[in-house]
Amino acid sequence: MPAQPRRGDVIEIRAMIAHPMETGYRAGSDGQLLAHDLIRWFNCSLDSGNGKELVFSAQLFPAIAANPYLAFHLRANKEGTLHFSWEGDHSFRHTETAPLRVV
Amino acid sequence: MNATHDVKGALDGGTSAVSRRQFLAASTVAGGSLVFAFHVPLAGEALAQPASAEVNAWVVVHPDDSVVIRIARSEMGQGTLTGLAQLVAEELDCDWSKVTTEYPTPGQNVARNRVWGNFGTGGSRGIRESQDYVRKGGAAARTMLVQAAADEWKVAASECRAAAGVITHRASGRSTSYGKVAAAASKLTPPATVALKDPKDWTLAGKRLARLDTVDKTTGRQIYGHDLKLPGMLNAAIKECPVFGGKLKSFNATAAAGRPGVKKVLQVGDTAVAVIADTWWRAKTALDAVIIEWDEGPNAKASSEGFDAILKAGLNAPQAAIGNQNGDALAAIAASARRIESVYSHPHQNHATMETMNATARYTPERCEVWTPTQNGEAALAATSEACGLPVAKCEVYKLHLGGGFGRRGMSDYVRQAVLLAKEMPGTPIKLIWSREEDMTQGRYHPITQCKLTAGLDGQGNITGLHMRISGQSILAAVFPQNVVNGKDPIVFQGLNATGPEAGIGYTIPNLLIDHAMRNPHVPPGFWRGVNLNQNAVYLECFIDEVAHATQQDPLALRRKLMANHPKHLAVLNAAAERGGWGQPAPAGVFRGLAQTMGYGSYVAACAEVSVSAQGVLKVLRIVAATDPGYAVNPQQIEAQVEGSFAYGLSAALYGSCTVKDGRIEQTNFHTYPVLKMEDMPKVETVLVSSGGFWGGVGEPTIAVAAPAVLNAIFAATGRRIRDLPLKDQNLKRA
Amino acid sequence: MLPFTAAAHNQGPGRTLVSLERRHLVVVAMTGWLACARQVAAAPLPDDLAAAIAAFADGMPVREGRVSLDIAELVDNGNTVPVSVAVDSPMTEADHVTAISLFNERNPQREVAHFVLGPSAGLARVSTRMRLATTQRVVALARMRDGSCWSRTVEVIVTLAACVESEL
Repeated sequence: MPAQPRRGDVIEIRAMIAHPMETGYRAGSDGQLLAHDLIRWFNCSLDSGNGKELVFSAQLFPAIAANPYLAFHLRANKEGTLHFSWEGDHSFRHTETAPLRVV
Repeated sequence: MNATHDVKGALDGGTSAVSRRQFLAASTVAGGSLVFAFHVPLAGEALAQPASAEVNAWVVVHPDDSVVIRIARSEMGQGTLTGLAQLVAEELDCDWSKVTTEYPTPGQNVARNRVWGNFGTGGSRGIRESQDYVRKGGAAARTMLVQAAADEWKVAASECRAAAGVITHRASGRSTSYGKVAAAASKLTPPATVALKDPKDWTLAGKRLARLDTVDKTTGRQIYGHDLKLPGMLNAAIKECPVFGGKLKSFNATAAAGRPGVKKVLQVGDTAVAVIADTWWRAKTALDAVIIEWDEGPNAKASSEGFDAILKAGLNAPQAAIGNQNGDALAAIAASARRIESVYSHPHQNHATMETMNATARYTPERCEVWTPTQNGEAALAATSEACGLPVAKCEVYKLHLGGGFGRRGMSDYVRQAVLLAKEMPGTPIKLIWSREEDMTQGRYHPITQCKLTAGLDGQGNITGLHMRISGQSILAAVFPQNVVNGKDPIVFQGLNATGPEAGIGYTIPNLLIDHAMRNPHVPPGFWRGVNLNQNAVYLECFIDEVAHATQQDPLALRRKLMANHPKHLAVLNAAAERGGWGQPAPAGVFRGLAQTMGYGSYVAACAEVSVSAQGVLKVLRIVAATDPGYAVNPQQIEAQVEGSFAYGLSAALYGSCTVKDGRIEQTNFHTYPVLKMEDMPKVETVLVSSGGFWGGVGEPTIAVAAPAVLNAIFAATGRRIRDLPLKDQNLKRA
Repeated sequence: MLPFTAAAHNQGPGRTLVSLERRHLVVVAMTGWLACARQVAAAPLPDDLAAAIAAFADGMPVREGRVSLDIAELVDNGNTVPVSVAVDSPMTEADHVTAISLFNERNPQREVAHFVLGPSAGLARVSTRMRLATTQRVVALARMRDGSCWSRTVEVIVTLAACVESEL
């Protein structure tokens, strides 16, 4: 359960996803080539009832380490639902939501 | 005397209860312990002892005229310590008999903005990469010492000269020595530029001087990581999951925990179990009594047979990264009147250093210190910081001489383990030593590869096209993946590159294609002395011999034809062949083989003489090796390195193979991973062909010509072409 | 163990781990970060890095300052290097950071990441983990609402590169 910030507090949000961030052609031990496979985009938006507002977004390049990790901040002015999405090569897409409650 | 090399160790940042005098007294009383000079640097204190002067970062001069030269690279038996000292001393113009050396720590290097440059010792680069700036360091120090004397005499520095640590002013006949002016010199502004001596004028560098570390090694005074003793120290043994990629599932310490001397039985990271005890033997035997359950992970069924199949498939795979290409080899081969094709292989091999992996660590929340043999002090420092979570400024690594490195100790895995253990017992130094079994099975192995070579031949015995397809493991993909670009690992092609100072092919071939299908078994690869030059020299040099035989040409004559545009490669080949007696009859039952290659900036060749009995028993009788490293800093040391490289290379060629069953390495000690014995060692003669004008390495290049020269000689002896290593697994009876 | 084994490519679609932490505005503490950031000798940047920075700045001048870049000065392998960028800004409607970007000097590609901060960010501080191919400079850039650009450059020593031949 996320902590419940007071209205106006600045909170830190950390997001991580398990993903190899494969940069080039390397072969696994079975001989199959691992095609390059990168996560390219991350987006965090807050939906507090009147549309989604951008919290933070990132464009990622091969220099981002495997299992991409991002930490950023949000001033918790309003309650709502946080939407997280990761997008990448080969139509990769992963989304999640988390509630944001404010005291 | 040039004997001392101090080990610097701080017991703490000043808060420990043990004073230096107490420590030394305790050490001399304890039976059998070796006392060595412990200097306890206090915060802000300079590295050198009081009343001496650091003229610059490279040179410290004591009042008695003795000189301490700072060495950044690691000494692991290869003689780099002495070589670098010779280069500094040459420019410094000091008295060589008064020279000792010391290692600045990596922490000091970082704190002083990397004034000593790169600490990494590998790639045969210790001397060639640092020679310029260390010589300038020596020259700058000399300039400042002379200036200090000139200032004192109120004369121009140009009227003074320095030799063997003595400065004289010709006109007045006055003289002084370095020790007397060092303090004043250290306060001067370093010169903006310095002129270096022409190597023709060298009096110390280039000479066959005795090494600075031999005496201590011979008398037993030399401290290695295994020997280290610190007050209050405990000992640790460790076992990591024997299947690479597996994890620790659970462990039952009941039988171990109560044993005498055992302090802790604990998990280390995700993958290992360790025991800390008062003595290492107690730790080791207690660890053997721990019941460990491994989650062997995805590689539990991996095997050498499986690797073989995967690598074989890569030999014909459509996709491969190109390392060297000119013309259209495939078309030329297809159009040729005749073609020959062979497949070779090279196994995984272990470094098998005489001293197993070890590190001693002491952790408190304020400071983490590590004493360890390492080929890269800065890497060990970074690993220490990462493992304990303290910033680099609160960590320190004290470098010890290595009981063998060969590339294994450029990795800091054992340092991290020691630090994690030390964190469990803050304030207590923990000495972690790997058992031989752990060392054998947790290596960073010579990569495994196969190679298919196909040559097109015309009616006159010329090669019309050559395709060399390497299939196998990439070191970078495992160790440094961010340097694999577009699927290509550039160091796979050592010795086969079109051009370049590091590793260029010595043959001109009209249509050439050298490519690599990457296939990575789960066995962790690492940099093994010679790295990829080893198998590339086997593949190419043995195949060129096959071409010679197939076209009824003398192997030397064929090579000479192909090397017309590569004079330096050709010069060493001719030197080895000539001294080896190629072309003249050999004694009865003795046969010769040739090989040449280029790598690490140097050109090398060998002529091997072998005999093979009717039962197929091989004797390597004699090796003549020629090397052109450009400048030669210490010819005696070069000869020693060349000899040593054949001891190491022949060991590997004859016996070295690590196989895998059920995901784990099968060879656990020297009974199944033998090394060369004295009776196997051939006579090695070195021909130094220093053409000057460049700086090539010495530690590695000659190892690569050991196996192919012997393999080619075996063919001459038996008519049997051996294409797989190690030789102990091959049938050498006359074909 | 090694980061890349046969299992790596069998990873499923992935899972986001999200954690929220309470944190008070810490404007005062930020100046401490700026003070201890490692300034780097002003050797000229390679052309492609300078070009990437100019593209980010979109015609505006780039000034050193206001940005702190927290990254280890010495790194063993360079495969996973934590990095944090913080920008001294009140993060008000009138004066706030709109974007932060990270560049490198010697990886195969200059860009590391482009971050866009939403209007309610509250604190201009971003952390991630990056790869470093060798010893090199890392550059962090921040763009303010008024278009002005600020930067910080730091050198990181990557030690495993020492094992590899210099032709890399």
